[in-house]
Amino acid sequence: MAAGQEQEHEPRKLQYPLDSTSYRIISEIGVGVSAVVYKAICTTMNSSVVAIKAIDLDQSRADFDNVRREAKTMSLLSHPNILNAHCSFTVDRRLWVVMPFMSAGSLQSIITSSFPDGLSESCIAIVLKEILNALSYLHGQGHLHRDIKAGNILIDSNGSVKLADFGVSASIYESNSVRGWYSSSSSFSSSSLMLTDVAGTPYWMAPEVIHSHNGYSFKADIWSFGITALELAHGRPPLSNLPLSKSLLLKITKRFRFSDYDKNKKEKQKKFSKSFKDMVASCLDQDPSKRPTAEKLLKHSFFKNCKGTDFLVKNVLQGLPSVEERFKASKILNSITTKNDEEDDDGDDELKVKHRRISGWNFNEDGFQLDPVFPTETNGAKQVTFGKDSFIQDKGGDSSESNLSSPGQISESASNLISPIDHSDEIGGGVDREPMLGSLMVLMKSLEEQKKKVSDLIGLLGGEEHREMTTRADQMVQVIERLRVELENEKRKNFELEIELEYLKLQVYGAQSPGA
Amino acid sequence: MIFGANQWKRGTIGTCASNQQGSSVKRASSTGRGLSNSQAQQQYDPHTLRSESAKMKGLFKPKPRTPVDVVRQTRDLLMFADRSSDTREGKREEKMLELCKNIRDLKIILYGNSESEPVAEACAQLTQEFFRENTLRLLIRCLPKLNLEARKDATQVVANLQRQQVQSKLIASDYLEANIDLMDILVSGYESTEMALHYGAMLRECIRHQSVARYVLESGHMKKFFDFIQLPNFDIAADAAATFKELLTRHKSTVAEFLSKNYDWFFEEYNSKLLESTNYITRRQAVKLLGDILLDRSNSAIMTRYVSSRENLRILMNLLRESSKSIQIEAFHVFKLFAANQNKPADIVSILVANRSKLLRLFADFKTDKEDEQFEADKAQVVKEIAALEPRERT
Repeated sequence: MAAGQEQEHEPRKLQYPLDSTSYRIISEIGVGVSAVVYKAICTTMNSSVVAIKAIDLDQSRADFDNVRREAKTMSLLSHPNILNAHCSFTVDRRLWVVMPFMSAGSLQSIITSSFPDGLSESCIAIVLKEILNALSYLHGQGHLHRDIKAGNILIDSNGSVKLADFGVSASIYESNSVRGWYSSSSSFSSSSLMLTDVAGTPYWMAPEVIHSHNGYSFKADIWSFGITALELAHGRPPLSNLPLSKSLLLKITKRFRFSDYDKNKKEKQKKFSKSFKDMVASCLDQDPSKRPTAEKLLKHSFFKNCKGTDFLVKNVLQGLPSVEERFKASKILNSITTKNDEEDDDGDDELKVKHRRISGWNFNEDGFQLDPVFPTETNGAKQVTFGKDSFIQDKGGDSSESNLSSPGQISESASNLISPIDHSDEIGGGVDREPMLGSLMVLMKSLEEQKKKVSDLIGLLGGEEHREMTTRADQMVQVIERLRVELENEKRKNFELEIELEYLKLQVYGAQSPGA
Repeated sequence: MIFGANQWKRGTIGTCASNQQGSSVKRASSTGRGLSNSQAQQQYDPHTLRSESAKMKGLFKPKPRTPVDVVRQTRDLLMFADRSSDTREGKREEKMLELCKNIRDLKIILYGNSESEPVAEACAQLTQEFFRENTLRLLIRCLPKLNLEARKDATQVVANLQRQQVQSKLIASDYLEANIDLMDILVSGYESTEMALHYGAMLRECIRHQSVARYVLESGHMKKFFDFIQLPNFDIAADAAATFKELLTRHKSTVAEFLSKNYDWFFEEYNSKLLESTNYITRRQAVKLLGDILLDRSNSAIMTRYVSSRENLRILMNLLRESSKSIQIEAFHVFKLFAANQNKPADIVSILVANRSKLLRLFADFKTDKEDEQFEADKAQVVKEIAALEPRERT
């Protein structure tokens, strides 16, 4: 535990031993795709407790440079809200990264185990403020974290909050795009401070990261920060009930608005303060340049009168199951639920617990409708509008957005099919695979049919090139109109068939009765 | 030039600007000193920063500082830091702090910050002044005396300066040619846990200049890299490996010349220390780099020589048998050159023939994770070559 105390001023003062024999592994506390996190004791350093992230280098063969960069970043950053590595060394095919042991684990695992409906606003403010301090430092250093989320926020027993996992972080001073400076040193444009590769975890990703060809910068972290705020408030990120895929995310970024939040969740409506909503809304501005910097956010009224981290100790950490216990529980859960957990590839979190909610099983209660994030007072909530700008020109976008525009029919079938697996009873809700699979197949088929119909409609509509003229809303109205007409037709047909059936029945009856 | 200077004057720099995190950024208009209103166009112009300390002291009116001023002041402070360790503690501390701030200012001029972009003319002036005198040497020498943040800033400044052009010339290159011994300091940085990552990053930037890379290649330092890459500290070892790779791949003609002149010792070391290292990551990186080197067209003579050696073949065949898929795949990309060689020496042929069935069996279920047409084609070619080999008499 003493090891958890950072040496702010002399970050590398304590030289931890560079061989595996000096450490004794106590238990596994996290697991990812190519990394395992252990709790361990350093036998030569007063038996201080450490966390060891063991990364399988043979599995992460794609980009060894990333691993190198992460190690370098972690050893050169020095801030009380950033998790540093004590040291790192290779043990056969594994890279061991020795870090302070943050005994309360990740916020994501804390929420999953003890606060499924999210934390209180005062706790959220404390955590977010610490994270903003870290972000402000990181950005000042020219680094983007690129994977801000509750799973990467670690808490120690004394309530200290640290941002972890630089597995996908990037430095604007090092990226390839900066190479451009060499050739055009006379015209440094702001675009040279931009990155263009896609990185991060989808639900938290900023729209401009998903559309990464346009480049993105520090403000992408601010977006993820806003999503993380929602995650802390509700226990999960918005839209996490939707299956995960990039194409779907394209749709999400277009249609994501606060007014959608309140439609569905009937029970357990949480109230949030205006300043909180205002703060989150500013982070989730579609236009990166309009999002505030971390520095500026720190001055937001939401963080005024913010309590100290000891408040976290009293209100969040007390009575919490240990990291080990939580990890075990999550492992058992995973073995039940995650067979088709296809894209959980952010395997590097310390103390990571697999996100059941990404599994796709949670495509549940509300079917295709968006996750209720700010359930009450829509009027008060700022509207975060999307799709007013560049994305509209996106060709692929047209079809995808229409896909979502006919949610009614799907959601009916969806909720019928899947509602038994509501996340409120995930733990007990025995997952019966066979019927589930059947249901999902049916659902998929229905979705495919929907998609086909919609894309036919798009084909009809899409001939015209003057997209700027037809606003999105118009398009939606048209699509809905057409679907309605189609539905009417179906109903009529159905009605006719029913009549016919009745008629036939009568005939049969008539034919039988004389004989009888 | 005149236009540029005028343009620069719009933004000026306080006596010593910006604290560590730029949080003391003030609106130009709010300081109200030495600045006309028109300068307030940018809310957070880093060039209009004033330090808190300067304001509080109020001893002198801060006059606008040009990039040249910042460089000069940095140089003066560096000279102080370089010579003194006996000055009164308090005064020294203050000066070191000021030095760190100046280095931060240099960085902001060169890179801009989140609120403003760098001005090309200012960068050019800074660069020219920086290399006009021996600032770089001082900075490198004093680096261990700076705090972590200043070291990082300095590294980024040095990196940026390597790419700055003054009248479309890379003057950093000329400076380094005249001060090539600085590379000795940078290379030896790998021997210090504290300095390795900073000096390493600077070194990698400096060897972007061909003449500098040639010097490092031909110096005695090259031998040390075989040890640096295997240092226990992963971050340092990985940094050294990145530099090593850069040295051996960046400047084609220089690399080819170096390898042909130093063939014997170089590959002997390469084989024994790297390819046959007990360290997994060393072997993996080494075999990958070997493939990159040998497959480069400019190194074809070296390649021909390499694949004619029976000892080299033995080592590569051992790597082919590794349990690590990554190493196997990379080893294959080198092994295929032995097989494809149309003038195989007899001893190579006899080894291949002797191991023919084992090799063919190995290749039969040898696959990459992702579908890779080129790999499959190469494999088919290698299998064909080996299957067709006739045992020959040794000559």
